[in-house]
Amino acid sequence: MLSSFDPRINRLELPDAPSIPTDKVALDQFPTYEVFHQRKENAAYAYVGPVHAPEADVAFLFAKEQFSRRFPCTGMWVAPTSAIQVTPYGNDQESVYNLLPLLPVESATADATGQQAYDIFHLKKRGKAHAHVGQVSASSPEAALQAAKAAFGDQRPVVNVWVIRSADLLRSDDEDRDMWTTTPDKKYREAISYKVQDRIDRFKQEG
Amino acid sequence: MYGSASTHDIPAKATTGLENEDPILLAEFEARIARGEKIEPTDWMPQLYRKQLTRMIEQHAHSEIIGSLPEGTWITRAPGFRRKMAQMAKVQDEVGHAQLLYSAAETLGKTREQMLSDLVNGKSKYSNVFNYPTPTWADSNVISWLIDAGAIVNQLANAKGSYGPYCRALDRICAEEAFHLKYGHDAVVHMATGTPIQRKMMQEALNRWWPAIMTFFGPSDKMSTHTEILMRWKVKMATNDACRQQFLDMYVPKIWEIGLTLPDANLRKNEDGVWEFSEPDWEDFKRVINGDGPCNAERIAVRRAAEENGAWVRRAMQQPQARYVRPLA
Ligand SMILES: [Fe+2]
Ligand SMILES: [Fe+2]
Ligand SMILES: [Fe+2]
Repeated sequence: MLSSFDPRINRLELPDAPSIPTDKVALDQFPTYEVFHQRKENAAYAYVGPVHAPEADVAFLFAKEQFSRRFPCTGMWVAPTSAIQVTPYGNDQESVYNLLPLLPVESATADATGQQAYDIFHLKKRGKAHAHVGQVSASSPEAALQAAKAAFGDQRPVVNVWVIRSADLLRSDDEDRDMWTTTPDKKYREAISYKVQDRIDRFKQEG
Repeated sequence: MYGSASTHDIPAKATTGLENEDPILLAEFEARIARGEKIEPTDWMPQLYRKQLTRMIEQHAHSEIIGSLPEGTWITRAPGFRRKMAQMAKVQDEVGHAQLLYSAAETLGKTREQMLSDLVNGKSKYSNVFNYPTPTWADSNVISWLIDAGAIVNQLANAKGSYGPYCRALDRICAEEAFHLKYGHDAVVHMATGTPIQRKMMQEALNRWWPAIMTFFGPSDKMSTHTEILMRWKVKMATNDACRQQFLDMYVPKIWEIGLTLPDANLRKNEDGVWEFSEPDWEDFKRVINGDGPCNAERIAVRRAAEENGAWVRRAMQQPQARYVRPLA
């Protein structure tokens, strides 16, 4: 048995050396979800990072823990990574819409059957985060991108675009907004609540 | 914490493989970095860049998760409710940092589960300081303050690096580290300015940790042949020596001002503003990082037990039809 000076470790009764190497790859590789958060009321949702989860509801819980634990947040969306259509990346300062092949935009009066809502996200600068710019209605992700070009293509710069079928985004409910107000009673997590200078000054004076 | 661009484990004579790369793509890649633009996951990149970044971000992630163990074991024994809560919050942050970093590394092609497997099977490295024990509360405080301080020096530098997903993760991590640093400083000051017994306990912990702290940034860069190219590609943003100097300059005065001493008679700032110190024992460093330290086996065993004890939960949550894809950004 592995022996430690730490009684908490000894109580785990860990083996001294593991016999068979663990290969957890096949068992545990969950799908990934991409997470968007809203920093304050009426701000655009912005990308914060991925989580690994077996399904969307669990992804949402993990995302809430990972990305809203420490800083203000008023809403969160998650989407399966596999559901996100990604354009090529352009250079900084450019618009990636200019690289798209010109296809006719579906006319707004076209038959509404088969039309779905898509959410559009722009990356303004490499290394920054994608931000939500709005919704379009289209019959396919490709058509949605063309519609996005028509609606938002005059914005500059646009280094990269993500297109997500709106139905694929799991969104926090406005009614549940009180679930985001967890930060005020946890002041011990704020750098600002540690005021140590007084103690140092007193120590120096007495010294 | 602990994002050390620990390139010290690159074989000194390794080839760069650059002669096999497409010269036009390589030139475009280097021009993009020279312009100050970030590289995103779908961009073309040289094999060496992918390999070094994967290793560096993976090691950083492992350091967060292993680094949470010596502090984690003090949560229940932290003096007072408020400190228990703060210690717990810090440990939770560190584990969260690991998750952010694993995801950033995944965008380069290696899966999170492969990285976690390599960690529990002893194939990967993590910051060597966590192979040392934390016998007292004061040792835990030294980690909270000074190891995190060292990590912040590294992380702030790396956050200006060239790889987009790593920068995004580090921006978030650095924002959270501000609390760790203040919390750690507060805890150390409390002990150092407290009763004679508290003060003695803190001094002894500092004496125990100082040699490891001096190795935190890795050996002098003269030893790595790749430093130059990795700095040009903004994988490595500052030399190990520069980071160590910056750390000493920021923290030695703060240690001295609360009446603590450091166990190195040669430690001083010379007239050129450069810190002088006794050369750390790099042979011992090598021995410990290669497995023969006081806590290597324990750290890996605890991590492995956590994996094994949690397996049934993950098995229960698994969806047979689910398909893994690597994260986008
Ligand atoms: Fe840390
Ligand atoms: Fe930290
Ligand atoms: Fe950390």
